[in-house]
Amino acid sequence: MKIHNLTKKYDGKPVVDTVSFTIPKGKVLSLIGPNGAGKSTVMGMLSRLIAKDSGLIEFEGQELTHWKSRELAKRLAILTQTNNVSMKLTVEELVAFGRFPYSGGRNTAEDQALIAQAIAYMELTDLKDRFIDELSGGQRQRAYIAMVIAQDTEYVLLDEPTNNLDIYHAARMMKIVRRLCDELGKTVILVLHEINFAAFYSDYVCAFVDGRIAKFGTVKEVMTKETLSDIYKVDFEVIEIAGKPLSIYY
Amino acid sequence: MKQQTVLTKAQRANQRRLVILTLLMLLAAAAYLTVDVNFQNEKLFAYAMRLRIPKLAVMLITALSIGGATIVFQSIIRNTIVTPCLLGMNSLYTLIHTAVVFVLGSGSIVASNPNAAFGVDIVLMGIASTVIYSWLFRKTKYNVLYVLLIGTVLTSFFGSIQSTLLRVMDPNEYDALLASLVASFSNVNSRIILFSLLLLALLLFWLRRELALLDVLTLGRDQAINLGVDYDRCVGRLLLGVTLCIAIATAMVGPISFMGLIIANLSRQLLKTYRHGQLIAGSALFGMFVLIGGQTLVEHVFAYTIPVSVFITVAGGIYFLYLLLRERRR
Repeated sequence: MKIHNLTKKYDGKPVVDTVSFTIPKGKVLSLIGPNGAGKSTVMGMLSRLIAKDSGLIEFEGQELTHWKSRELAKRLAILTQTNNVSMKLTVEELVAFGRFPYSGGRNTAEDQALIAQAIAYMELTDLKDRFIDELSGGQRQRAYIAMVIAQDTEYVLLDEPTNNLDIYHAARMMKIVRRLCDELGKTVILVLHEINFAAFYSDYVCAFVDGRIAKFGTVKEVMTKETLSDIYKVDFEVIEIAGKPLSIYY
Repeated sequence: MKQQTVLTKAQRANQRRLVILTLLMLLAAAAYLTVDVNFQNEKLFAYAMRLRIPKLAVMLITALSIGGATIVFQSIIRNTIVTPCLLGMNSLYTLIHTAVVFVLGSGSIVASNPNAAFGVDIVLMGIASTVIYSWLFRKTKYNVLYVLLIGTVLTSFFGSIQSTLLRVMDPNEYDALLASLVASFSNVNSRIILFSLLLLALLLFWLRRELALLDVLTLGRDQAINLGVDYDRCVGRLLLGVTLCIAIATAMVGPISFMGLIIANLSRQLLKTYRHGQLIAGSALFGMFVLIGGQTLVEHVFAYTIPVSVFITVAGGIYFLYLLLRERRR
């Protein structure tokens, strides 16, 4: 996936300004940066939820907007922050929606098997008949991830997946992200606020400031004292734990 | 393509519930047709049937259109305490109907032939609502509050234009118009039954293919797009269907505001599912039961002293308050 000169303006003010980068395949890429840096907007444009003003997004050799929505849904999945369902929907029914791009709502035995597999993978088998609105935040997030797994796409986009989760569930979420990449071979792109989660669990980091890319590179390249202080305008210390750079800010 | 493998326990329970509802509805229909009918005298019997069967058909068609339209509309807007009436679709229909007679005059075929008038109304209604509502939805980014607020303004806006037209209208034309404007349950517009039935059948046939899509829409815009749905176009199409259903109902019995709200929510409460096939069936059956049962009571117990729409409005109002309070407690 190649992004070239991507731009988005709201009322004439650019929130994403000529952003270009290439998403490495089969890796975890975290987009970080202060509030309003445009990382979520970039994510929105990558997932066609937000229309871009100019620039190119080349996905598998073809411009993203030229893809048929249904075909794209088989290759790229997005999970946004706000997922409130007003319907009475069980976990299993939600996960079954992941097969919609393939089956158009009429799931075959093969689809059912994949759904059961996704539920088991997320350890939700015991909860599969529970209604979504009766689950805790962490469980609900896992149910949505299971749906993304059932969708069986090569690319998975997660917009702040750790938002509103406590430390335990957030860490668990990040381990799931790692497994999606390592075990299922997916390319995962996520927007993160917690820098240390980004440092510990991703392969590449892309840091945004004021709608532009401040730094793109491997975790070790981006997670330096100077770069982070520059991006966040706060004093940073970077220490190494278990071979990963972790930051302390004050 | 292979069908859905096995039905879950909940789905089977829902099917049982729908069967029971159907039986209740049939019972009400039988009661409506037979109470106080003289079976001995063939002529009296035929006379009663000639009065009652068209009315029954009108009620069935109305319940089906309102029930379907409300469920679909609620799912599009993802809020279960709204109805399409809040957008002013009723008033838009009345306005269009008045404007057509006003412009073409009472001598034209449109004024004399109810089916021709209905056809013209439906086409205009489809065009007007597609332009107004699709644009409105896209412009407000599907924000329920804005849509409803503008809808309320539009309701009185359409209403005002319509009453202005009535005031400046030629009295003869007004006379021709009046009969079709004051449709109600005791004065149903039964001359357009066949046309409506045909239109509704077409709509339902089309809706069958959209049911899976509707299920996905309830997950919200982002999820729907993620799953490969062409959201804007899909919502536009469904809104058009909703408008046509409302047009059918309004043309036949006039505006009934709370009806859709009651039956759609009863159906959602009873069935507790997201599957729109079942929800729409439930909503329509509830509608038929309420309308036919209510009309039977009005005609035979209250002897026409209270119109059925009063019952529906009173019961609907109370039910609406209950829904609001329940939402707040959550």
